[in-house]
Amino acid sequence: MGNKADELVNAIAEMDEGKAIDLANQMLAEGIDPLEVLRLCRVAMNIVGERFEKQEYFLPELMMAGDMLEQIGAIVKPLLMDQAGGEEPETLGTIVLGTVHGDLHDIGKNIVTFMLELNGFKVIDLGIDVPIEKFIDAIEENQPQVVALSGFLTLAFDSMKETVEAIAEAGWRDKVKIMIGGGQIDEQVTNYTGADAFGKNAMEAVSLCNEWIGGAT
Amino acid sequence: MTFSNLTIIGERINPGFKSTETLFTNDDFKGIQELAIRQANAGAAYLNVNCGRRSKDDPDFLKEVILSIQAVVDIPLSFDFPNVEVQELCLKTYDIEKAKGRKPIVNSIAETRWEMLELANIRPFKVILMASERMEDGRGKPNKLASEVFETAQRMVNTVMKSSHDFNKEDLIVDVSVSALAADTEGLTKMAIEAIRLIGEDPDMQGVHIMGGLSNIGQQLPAKAADGSRLKLQLENAFLTMANPLGFDFLLGTPWKEYGPLPEDNYVYRIFTEVLDLSGIEALRCIRKFYKAV
Repeated sequence: MGNKADELVNAIAEMDEGKAIDLANQMLAEGIDPLEVLRLCRVAMNIVGERFEKQEYFLPELMMAGDMLEQIGAIVKPLLMDQAGGEEPETLGTIVLGTVHGDLHDIGKNIVTFMLELNGFKVIDLGIDVPIEKFIDAIEENQPQVVALSGFLTLAFDSMKETVEAIAEAGWRDKVKIMIGGGQIDEQVTNYTGADAFGKNAMEAVSLCNEWIGGAT
Repeated sequence: MTFSNLTIIGERINPGFKSTETLFTNDDFKGIQELAIRQANAGAAYLNVNCGRRSKDDPDFLKEVILSIQAVVDIPLSFDFPNVEVQELCLKTYDIEKAKGRKPIVNSIAETRWEMLELANIRPFKVILMASERMEDGRGKPNKLASEVFETAQRMVNTVMKSSHDFNKEDLIVDVSVSALAADTEGLTKMAIEAIRLIGEDPDMQGVHIMGGLSNIGQQLPAKAADGSRLKLQLENAFLTMANPLGFDFLLGTPWKEYGPLPEDNYVYRIFTEVLDLSGIEALRCIRKFYKAV
């Protein structure tokens, strides 16, 4: 199996989608543990992530690798459900996420949701233009470790600040980490909103969650 | 070669540009003036003014920025903040004499914020109409189809023209919104092009201008294309090459960039036309060709 394992990692890392899916199917047919296949996917994703950091890869490769992992995940999931006796596999942690009120942008938010889910987190995606109360309700219902606020417009900074303040007033500020991201967000905006950190891209969002929740592979 | 019919709104007075952010942080009004002059000299017809968060939090600063710019250039300004109070201050501060009688631009009104139209009571202005989002069932929704963008534009133009305020069609600039191509798995770039075509062809919207912020298109992509050219500039030009003849005649951009049509056999232009017909992972695979030789 050694060779096929290496080949699978390579196929994903080199963006060879057809080959990656074929290999994953072959390995599962040969009786290889679905969890091992998923582990190899994460190894490959880490390579893609490193290349992204080094600017050898860019957003399209990140999304392509994500797409391959999603496809393989869809093949593996029913097998895992059998193994676990029909129960949903465990996740690393829960993240409540949404684009803050007054802002309708969803592309960046969707990429972050996608990458977090691929990396084993449960994401409660509240959508766009999310009222403050909806965040609070979702936090109370799901008890997440992390709240992620997205926004592209300048006016989103104020909405983020208001949302962070409302989370504090509801008594949740010490129980959740808050990260923000989108467009022109930087250290200064992070301080302004009262969030704990910002991510420049989806990979940084994953790193922050790994750091805070202590997941990692 | 340049585009014959393209009006540039200079985009640089915006803290999104790191060098401008430094000017703002240091209250460097001299530096802001130099940036205004540089854009005007490079051919900007308007100057967009965006002071980021300080637009709202620091009215004195915003006012001072407007006064300093108008002290050194005579081109009209475009005020970039979707908020009535901020726009009110901008419009009251604006000195139309200094701009030789030319109206400023309000950037921008959307269906989710029609109350801003009443600002026309302060002084006449040109206005950017955001067609990338619509009001539906009392909530804002992003438009994902060319027909939705077109219908939003149509509704907005009608509403403005039927209002009690005195607008000409030439005062209206429809913003179709240009997205980052690097993440475009849903065909949003094609949507923008198709929406421009629909608006440009519509007899009732003749005279209305069409624009978009082009700097988004190259976001998250590397600096160099596989043929060694400057990828972001080439992408902007590829978009313009296609969109300008369809009626895209206003541009929020950097006036000293070399905007000009690309020949059909240009490497980036060829791949751009390919990407437009793709979606999902196929689009991403094609987008890689911009910077990865295959």
